[in-house]
Amino acid sequence: MTANSFELAQGPAKPPRKIHWGRVAIYVVLIAAAVFYLLPVYLLIITGMKSFAEVSLARMWDLPSGLHFDSYIKAWFGKESEGIRGLSNNFMNSVYLAVPATLGSALLGSMNGYVLAKWKFRGSDVLFPLILFGMFIPYQSILIPLVQTLQRMHLYGSIPGLIFVHIVYGIPITTLIFRNYYAGIPTELVEASKIDGASFLGIYRHVLFPISMPGFVVVMIWQFQSVWNDFLFGVIVTSRPAVQPITVALNNMAGSYIVEWNVQMAGSILAALPTLLVFIFLGRYFMRGLLAGSLKG
Amino acid sequence: MSSVDDRVPKIMKQGRVAPWLYVTPALIVMSFFIVYPMISTVLLSFRNADSTLPASAACVAGQPCWGIFENYRYALTSSIMLTAFRNNLLWILLMVSGTVAMGLLIAVLADRVRYEKTAKAIIFLPMAISFVGAGVIWKFMYDYGSGKIQIGLLNAILKTVEAPAVSWLTQPGINILALIVVGIWMWTGFCMTILAAALKGVPTEILEAARVDGATEWRVFWRIILPVIMPTIAVVITTMIINVLKIFDIVYVMTGGNYGTEVIANRMYLEMYSSFQSGRATAIAIVLIVVIIPAMIYNIRRFQEQEAMR
Repeated sequence: MTANSFELAQGPAKPPRKIHWGRVAIYVVLIAAAVFYLLPVYLLIITGMKSFAEVSLARMWDLPSGLHFDSYIKAWFGKESEGIRGLSNNFMNSVYLAVPATLGSALLGSMNGYVLAKWKFRGSDVLFPLILFGMFIPYQSILIPLVQTLQRMHLYGSIPGLIFVHIVYGIPITTLIFRNYYAGIPTELVEASKIDGASFLGIYRHVLFPISMPGFVVVMIWQFQSVWNDFLFGVIVTSRPAVQPITVALNNMAGSYIVEWNVQMAGSILAALPTLLVFIFLGRYFMRGLLAGSLKG
Repeated sequence: MSSVDDRVPKIMKQGRVAPWLYVTPALIVMSFFIVYPMISTVLLSFRNADSTLPASAACVAGQPCWGIFENYRYALTSSIMLTAFRNNLLWILLMVSGTVAMGLLIAVLADRVRYEKTAKAIIFLPMAISFVGAGVIWKFMYDYGSGKIQIGLLNAILKTVEAPAVSWLTQPGINILALIVVGIWMWTGFCMTILAAALKGVPTEILEAARVDGATEWRVFWRIILPVIMPTIAVVITTMIINVLKIFDIVYVMTGGNYGTEVIANRMYLEMYSSFQSGRATAIAIVLIVVIIPAMIYNIRRFQEQEAMR
C-alpha cells in the first residue's frame, strides 16, 4: 500500500479538504510517537556530553556547551579517587563473551536447523516442541539447578561459564531461525546431492553451508544482541566485578549514589554502542531475525 | 519424495541414524539444561530454605501450614506475592495492550506515509538497548530531586507548568505505571515489526476493491485489515504475555521491587539471592512457569499448525 494509491482511492469521491486533514492527523500521530520514542535517546546523548555543572534544571533541554568527552572518559576508565569503577574492562568481557557465544550457538543452530528442516525421522516431532519449549521458558525456572551444575563443571563465576550458558540457551532460537531458513531452500537441491551419493554431513557442508550466509547474518545479529544485552544470566553466573559483563557493571555503576547522571548516561551509551551500531547499519537483518524467530513461521 | 526413496534405499537407511547423530548433541544439551533443571526445580520447591529438609520443616506450630507445600503457601498467599500477582496482572493488561495497540497504530499509519522506514526505525531503536540501559535512562527521566532542583525530565516539565514534582518511582500506584511505560517504550518496536509484516500480507486487490466501492479507511481497517491480521495479533499478544511475565530487569534496575512494584520474576530472584530461600524461590519459579504455560501451549500449537501446512 503506497501513499499514492491511498490518495487515488480516496480522490474523486471525497472533497479534497477531508483527505488533507486525514493526512495531517496521520503525521501528527506519527510525529508524537517519534518524539516519545526519541526523547529519552536525545536526553541520553546530550547529557552524556555535558559536564556535571551543566546537568541541572535550567539547562535540561539545552545542547551541551561543547563536545565534552569527560563523562565518557570517566565512565570508561573510572576514577579511583571517587570510587568509580570504569566500564572498559567489562566492555571487553562482553566482547569476549558475546563473540564466541554468538558463533557457537549459530553453528549448532544451523546444524540442528538443517536436520529439522530437511530430514524426516522418528522423534523429530518430540525434538521440535522441546526446542520451542526451551525458547519460551522463563529462565528463572532453571536457574538454581543451573548454578549447581555449573559449579560442578567448574564453570561457575567465569566468562567461559557464561559463554557456555548463552550457547546452550541460544540453541532453541538459532535452531528455529535456521530451520525456517533451510525450509525455504528447495528440497530438490538436497535430493539431488543425495542421489549423487553425498553423505549426510557432506550435504550440510557442501550444499547447505555455502548458501547459509544470509541465515548466519540474521542469526548472529540476533544472538549478539541478546547476549550483549542479557542481564539475568550475567548477574547470576558472575559475581566478581572483574569478570562481569557490561550490563551488570552498568547496573552496579548506576546503583551507586556517587556517580553523576552525565557519567551514567555516558556509561549507558558505551554499553549500548555495539548493539546500536549493529542496529543502525544492519537494522533490516535485525528485524528479519525478529520475524524469523517470532512465529512468522 | 517417495520416488526418490524407492530409488536410493541405501541412503534412506543412513537417513535413519545420521539425523539422530546430528541432533544428539543438541538433544543431550537440551535435556541436561532444560528438562533436568525443570525437574530439579520442582523437587527443590518441596524442600526447605537450604534444601536439607522437607518444606514442612519450616512450619511453625499454631501457624497455618501446607505441609510439603509450605513453599507454595508462601508463593501463593504471602502479601508480597499477592502484590506481585496484582502487579503482573497490571503489567499484562497495560503493557500488552499498550505495545500491541501502539505497534498496530504505528504500523498502519507508517504504511501510508513516505517516511515509513524512518518512522519504523525510530520506534524500533529502543529494542537495541538493554533493559539495564533503558532502566538507567528512564531513572534519569523520572528522577525526583530531594531539594528544590528537579533534574528529572518529567519533573522539570511539571515545574514549568508550576505543578508539584512527583516522586515517580516511589509513589505507589504511579510507580508501576512509570515502569510499564518503560516496558512499552522498549517493546513497541517488536509488535510493530511483526504486525507491519502481517499488514503487507493483506491482499491489495481486496483493499482496492473496498475503496473503489467507497468504503472509508476506517471501515477498511475494521472490516478487512483487522480480521485478516487477527491470527498474527493473537500470537503477538500471547508472545507479549510471555515476555511481560519474564520481565525482571526493568523492575530490578529501577526500583528493586520496592515501594509496591514487586513482580513474580523479580521476587524469585530476591528470594534466592537476597534471602537465600531456595525452597521459596523455586516454588515461585514453578508458579511463574505455570502462569506462562497456557500462552506457551498456544504458541507451540500454532507453530505445529504451520508445520502441518508446510
